[in-house]
Amino acid sequence: MSRSINWAAVAALVLVASADPARVARSQAIGPGFELERSGRYADAATIYFTTVRSDPTNLPALLGLERTLFVLNRMTELLPLVQNARARLPESPALRSLELRVYAALNQTDSLEAIALRWAASVPRSDAPYREWGLALADRRMWDEARRAYLTGRKTLGGEGTLAIELAELEQRAGNWEASAAEWVRAVTRAADVGPNAASQLADAPAPMHEHVARILTGPDASVAARRVGAEVLLAWGQPNEAWVVMEQTLGQGDSDAQVALRRFADLAGALPTPEGHRVRGLALTRWADLVPSPVSERARAEAVRELLEGGDRAGARRVLEAHADATALGQASLLQILIADGQLDVAEARLETSKTALTADDRGALRLALANARIARGELDRADAALGDDSSVAAIAQRGWIALYRGNLKGAMEAFRVAGPYAADRAAATERTAMMALLQRIQEESNPELGAALLTLARGDSVAGVAALRRAASRLPVQGGRLEVLLLAGQVAAQKGGGGAPGDQEAMAVALFDEIVRAGGEGAAPPAAELEWARLLVRTGRSAEAIPHLEHLILTYPNSAFVPEARRVLERARGAIPKS
Amino acid sequence: MKRRDFVRGVGALGLTSFIPSFRHSVIPSLLIPMDDAQTDHLKAYGLAYRAIQAGLKAEWLLNYRGGSFLIPDLDALRRDAALNGIRFEPVDSGMPAVRGEIEANNMDAVPLEKAPKVAVYAPPNAAPWDDAVTMALQYAGIPFTKIWDAEVMNGGLRDFDWLHLHHEDFTGQYSKFFLIYSGMTWLGEMVQRNSDMARRLGFNTVPDLKKAVARGIHGYVENGGFLFAMCTATETIDLALAAEHVDIAATFADGTPIDPDADAKLDWSRSFAFMNAHVEPNPLVASFSDIDGHQVNGGARRQPLGAFTLFNFSAKIDPVPTMLVQNHRQVIPDFYGLTTSFTRNRLKPGVTILAEEEGAPWVKYIHGDLGKGTWTFFGGHDPEDPQHQIGDPPTDLSLHPHSSGYRLILNNVLFPAAKKRELKT
Repeated sequence: MSRSINWAAVAALVLVASADPARVARSQAIGPGFELERSGRYADAATIYFTTVRSDPTNLPALLGLERTLFVLNRMTELLPLVQNARARLPESPALRSLELRVYAALNQTDSLEAIALRWAASVPRSDAPYREWGLALADRRMWDEARRAYLTGRKTLGGEGTLAIELAELEQRAGNWEASAAEWVRAVTRAADVGPNAASQLADAPAPMHEHVARILTGPDASVAARRVGAEVLLAWGQPNEAWVVMEQTLGQGDSDAQVALRRFADLAGALPTPEGHRVRGLALTRWADLVPSPVSERARAEAVRELLEGGDRAGARRVLEAHADATALGQASLLQILIADGQLDVAEARLETSKTALTADDRGALRLALANARIARGELDRADAALGDDSSVAAIAQRGWIALYRGNLKGAMEAFRVAGPYAADRAAATERTAMMALLQRIQEESNPELGAALLTLARGDSVAGVAALRRAASRLPVQGGRLEVLLLAGQVAAQKGGGGAPGDQEAMAVALFDEIVRAGGEGAAPPAAELEWARLLVRTGRSAEAIPHLEHLILTYPNSAFVPEARRVLERARGAIPKS
Repeated sequence: MKRRDFVRGVGALGLTSFIPSFRHSVIPSLLIPMDDAQTDHLKAYGLAYRAIQAGLKAEWLLNYRGGSFLIPDLDALRRDAALNGIRFEPVDSGMPAVRGEIEANNMDAVPLEKAPKVAVYAPPNAAPWDDAVTMALQYAGIPFTKIWDAEVMNGGLRDFDWLHLHHEDFTGQYSKFFLIYSGMTWLGEMVQRNSDMARRLGFNTVPDLKKAVARGIHGYVENGGFLFAMCTATETIDLALAAEHVDIAATFADGTPIDPDADAKLDWSRSFAFMNAHVEPNPLVASFSDIDGHQVNGGARRQPLGAFTLFNFSAKIDPVPTMLVQNHRQVIPDFYGLTTSFTRNRLKPGVTILAEEEGAPWVKYIHGDLGKGTWTFFGGHDPEDPQHQIGDPPTDLSLHPHSSGYRLILNNVLFPAAKKRELKT
């Protein structure tokens, strides 16, 4: 028994003793001992405990107090005769028996310890307690081999594969024998499946080099269903969701009553993984769990499963779930339409959106229209994108129309739409993107520029290489202080951050050339310091911090009033290695 | 003039005042204000350090606008300040108004002469962000060298003017994490590295090695070194020194139990700051003694954090403690460490208290002389991470450029640079 558990025992015994007035008096007498012990005055505490035991030889709180304090004071020999006396008076007390074993262990008298343990075992022939306490007393002294022998003696005497398996599993883990620990946990969960969570939690701490060995033991062909489910949970804890699901799925054909609980627990554990694989596996588990639970829980589970599958990038899986359960809930309909749009089946989605109008909420319908318009823009179908928005007068739709106007080269129309949409349409990233575009457009004195619109549309369609080239061409026709530097900066940012179909080195060189052009041009606008900061960031990102430092210093000293200076100082600190990465 | 001469001079002078020994600079200067006008207090120390490292004259204007610095008005220093976001104010040569204000008030102008060579005692595998001083030095741009047991034992300390200790448990008990964090990789590495070093240097146990290292550091200070310690190092170096002939390490550390009469056998004449402490005998409690007032891992003994107040010393009479408490804040929020504070009734007579929590039975920041050198102890682990836990992300000082707690650390780095002035008579 650990020392912290002893404190609990003390508290419990003090409460039990409260029924007997004499014991109450003795309990009160012992109280100062606890206080002295807590304040670190062990010798003084021991004196009080001794006094209590002299008047009440079987007073367990006092004896436990002596066990704690005399251990610290290196005076355990004084405790042995007191414990022997108490045990002789109350031979049936497991607490005193355990204490006696621990005292012998503390005194390193292992032969006597064994004799005492076996004598106790003989008095309670069906109990595993004597072997457990014997083993624990040795394990607390880090005597792993002797502790193992104690437990195995108990297993052999009492029979049963799983006898004392939990104790052996924990012992092997403390001794660093992870494979042996896993084998004992297999025995333990096979005997009682409800220790599975504890087994999984313990084995999840296995060091990485042991993962494969532990997994093999838990998931081998001879392992029980309960053991394999522990294996699946452990694999999840190690961040291997796909492997975990393979193991879990293989246990589901048995039709056992534990499957539902196991699946739910598996799904919950998978929810802790932020990776796409984690989401996908959670979705798969929820799908199977939904088949085992009644309605309406099953519908909610499937809806959640679809979301998780989509989050995990498994659109086909999500679609299968939706099509197999075409129960026409609004959530299901919306999810199916999202998948169709994501799969590029825009005409089908458009038609279905038209016919499902009444089954969808207004919010869902609006979100699907925007998604459809986005998908049309990605194909360059600006008219159909416009049509997809219909008569939607929401700020999100107005913002979207602004982008469509921009891609058509209508800069004035785009600015007006962005102004009307304001900073709250869609999410924060979209609002930031609109604001940045408005800042760029403000530098251009033209109301219409189809070449720039086409270049931006190329970017929006995901072709960054062609987009960067088109932006450079469009910029070359603009005055230096009339938006050219800003458009070049956008091209440089895209080249530096997104890359494209070309080799990354080419994109990087392109970005550097663009930033260089902007910095050389200089001037009053925000583009030169912004370009120099982007240039430095690119250098830091590619491991050339030393080359970034002069750029950052140039930026700080040349544009001391620029809004980019605080960030430049921060990047400079990082480039110099003066602040940690966080 | 060497730093140890400066310290000796301070000790010998007692209450005698200091007067300038050189003519004030007649070239234009830059005033680095250290009050709330400063945009990066911590980097300002680095600027002052680099100025004197370059062989330039600088002054520390004690108690003037938060302990400002005066450096020559040179393009290189202006550039340094601009790059680092440090506010400076060009001032007329001589600054008669400022000099007059300093003369008339509890202020003084101390010349800074020699950039101290800084050593940080830390294991070779310690991350640069493991302790507050390393972070402060790195952020301010002050160079330092990491040393460990072998360098101390081989006399390497003589190459340095200033030594910092932080994490080390000089009782050799691995901060008593041995049982609590049993099985953790980092602890295994720590044990292995210390055991290897003990064997390499011919010691039977790690506690024996650490006692010898503590004695080496004690000798370094006696011979004129400046020691600055924080957190665990403050308490455990004194315990290790006092326990030269007593076993105060638990069985897990050296194979033998703590001497039951350890308290009575400790020899406090060997220690820097503390005396009459009671050693924590329980190996499961990550506390070393009752020197620490807060007992962060002491269960029911743990005390809550408050705030500590810096003492206001006479700048002209007590320049050393005045330098150590220069700040733009007088009251600073407290922060935990394995050793957070120092119990008042465990302090030796003669120890100078630099900061305390008013009404509490502990103090936070102390200073003293030993032989030709001085030592300063500052309780706690990280002034900007009051509840620091193992595994916490490192503190990013660029988010705390005005940290008053970190300023106290940097005061210590710079004060050995101060030049002793000649007596008037």
